Amino acid sequence: MKKRKNGDRLASWAFLTPTLVFLGITALLPLLYSLYLSFFRMKLNLPNQTPQFVGFENYARMLTDQLLHTSTWNTILFAVISVALETVLGLMVAMVICSDKRWARIVTSIFMIPMIMAPVAIGTLWRMMLDSSTGVINYLLSFLGIPSINWLSNPTSAMIAVMLVNVWQLTPWVTVICAAGLKALPSDCLQAGLMDGATSGQIFRHIVIPLIKPVLVVVLMIRFIDAFKVFDTVYVMTNGGPGSATEMLPNYIYKQGLKFFDAGYAAALAIVFVLTMTLCTTLFLRWRKREEDKL
Amino acid sequence: MKKIRSRDYASTEAILSTFAGRPVKYFLIVASVISVLFPVYWLVISAFKLEQDYLAYPPVMFPTRFTLDSFIEIFTRDDILQYFFNTMIVAVATTAITIVVGSMAAYAVVRGPIGAKAKHAFGVWFLIQKMYPAIATAIPVYLVMRSLHLMDTLIALIIMNTSFNLPLVIWLMMGFFEQIPYDMEESAMLDGCGFCSRFFRVVLPVTKPGLIASAILTFVAAWNEFLFAVILTIKNSKTLPVVIAGFITDRGLAWGPMAATALVTLIPVVILVWIVQKDFVNGLAAGAVKG
Repeated sequence: MKKRKNGDRLASWAFLTPTLVFLGITALLPLLYSLYLSFFRMKLNLPNQTPQFVGFENYARMLTDQLLHTSTWNTILFAVISVALETVLGLMVAMVICSDKRWARIVTSIFMIPMIMAPVAIGTLWRMMLDSSTGVINYLLSFLGIPSINWLSNPTSAMIAVMLVNVWQLTPWVTVICAAGLKALPSDCLQAGLMDGATSGQIFRHIVIPLIKPVLVVVLMIRFIDAFKVFDTVYVMTNGGPGSATEMLPNYIYKQGLKFFDAGYAAALAIVFVLTMTLCTTLFLRWRKREEDKL
Repeated sequence: MKKIRSRDYASTEAILSTFAGRPVKYFLIVASVISVLFPVYWLVISAFKLEQDYLAYPPVMFPTRFTLDSFIEIFTRDDILQYFFNTMIVAVATTAITIVVGSMAAYAVVRGPIGAKAKHAFGVWFLIQKMYPAIATAIPVYLVMRSLHLMDTLIALIIMNTSFNLPLVIWLMMGFFEQIPYDMEESAMLDGCGFCSRFFRVVLPVTKPGLIASAILTFVAAWNEFLFAVILTIKNSKTLPVVIAGFITDRGLAWGPMAATALVTLIPVVILVWIVQKDFVNGLAAGAVKG
């Protein structure tokens, strides 16, 4: 039996080896390389130039980089508003479609489309629909008496447009996840509430929300972290513009590195970004653990 | 606040779905379905519209004239077929590698005797890795691929897509493996089944839905991946998302061909997800519940 155990241990590590080697080379090493680069001044467009050690200069630059502050603020604003909208709308729709009947399955299939469509395609499609001269959105709004809006060339409306596209793209995901969670709720709890004569508002507040909270916490966590990583749709819709009105962190890092070829600064930005995201993930995981322990 | 009469409702779904009354329920269903479908409808009709129709204002809401011009243009002039195959190769290879490598690692973490500490450490690592922003490795990956002469190759894209989907698949598969009753493996063990054959003969066959769910999520993610595709490709190894983005940056206003390309990109994943819809939804839910 002892021999068997050793064999199993050996086999387990053999099973893990490809993953460890692969992730080590393609994820950990690049991160360490980023850390290294972040202490150098290096231009990507001059391949033969030797990187020059500059200490913490790249990190110090962040403190005074006005555009970075704008993008950080934009990213937070974008993430908070779009995730809040997605969660509220998603939960509302999930409540009415959490059913195993045929029509609910068809509606769920329809909701799959935005989830599986390439974000780049979503961005270009909406850009076509929001076009100020031929766009269908302005045409539809004109029936409501709303004058033509130059969606993507006005700072405020460009931000709203980018958020709306995110809401269109990801509310269905929230709906599907919440519907799965709602379907698993014990019906006797709800019925007990009904028996006691609770109003629908009371049932929602005191029975549904507490029971669905662990699912909501996870949905919030995943959506929030993903919202911070938004890149594809912004890249094709506004590319950060007009001016820096919709500039978000991933797009900003991309521009610094691959448009202005400032590899050192982009690497420093990436390191700070990863650290912040890891911190956020850890905080969310703690919150989730606390919610799970409560049940 | 309307009081709900209990005799009308029995199940959870019935209570929840008529929460705010039936009119609200029907309004929400109709409004959400229309908001999701309208852009899709617009994409489809734009791909089949004549040029003067897709550039017309007021927009042609219900076109009566259809043409395949946009498709002919992208297949002949833009050589979309080559990019289609590029995308297919990247997505299929990524999925195959990720599923094999990832499910093996997940099984070792869940059932392998590697010690509780190692188990916990791997669990946390894969979770953090799953949350990790791709942009963080973009610059070093670009530099390394350039010096290895892997720029503009499909191999570079397969490597990066595998790297980003592996943690997700491991995390999903860990959840599915944990659900397998341990008795099953124990009896196989008593029959003299080693770790490897337990995995391949006993465990894998019963986790087929989990494997399908992980595979479809990986395939869709790799099929639609854009960040590394735009950084690492120049011409020959471009994927469909890069081509779509190109319509904005290089060609402006070519809405018809753009919509046709987007449609060509969308159709394969729609068919695939439609075939395995149940597993896809389970995968999404499992991924979210597991964190």
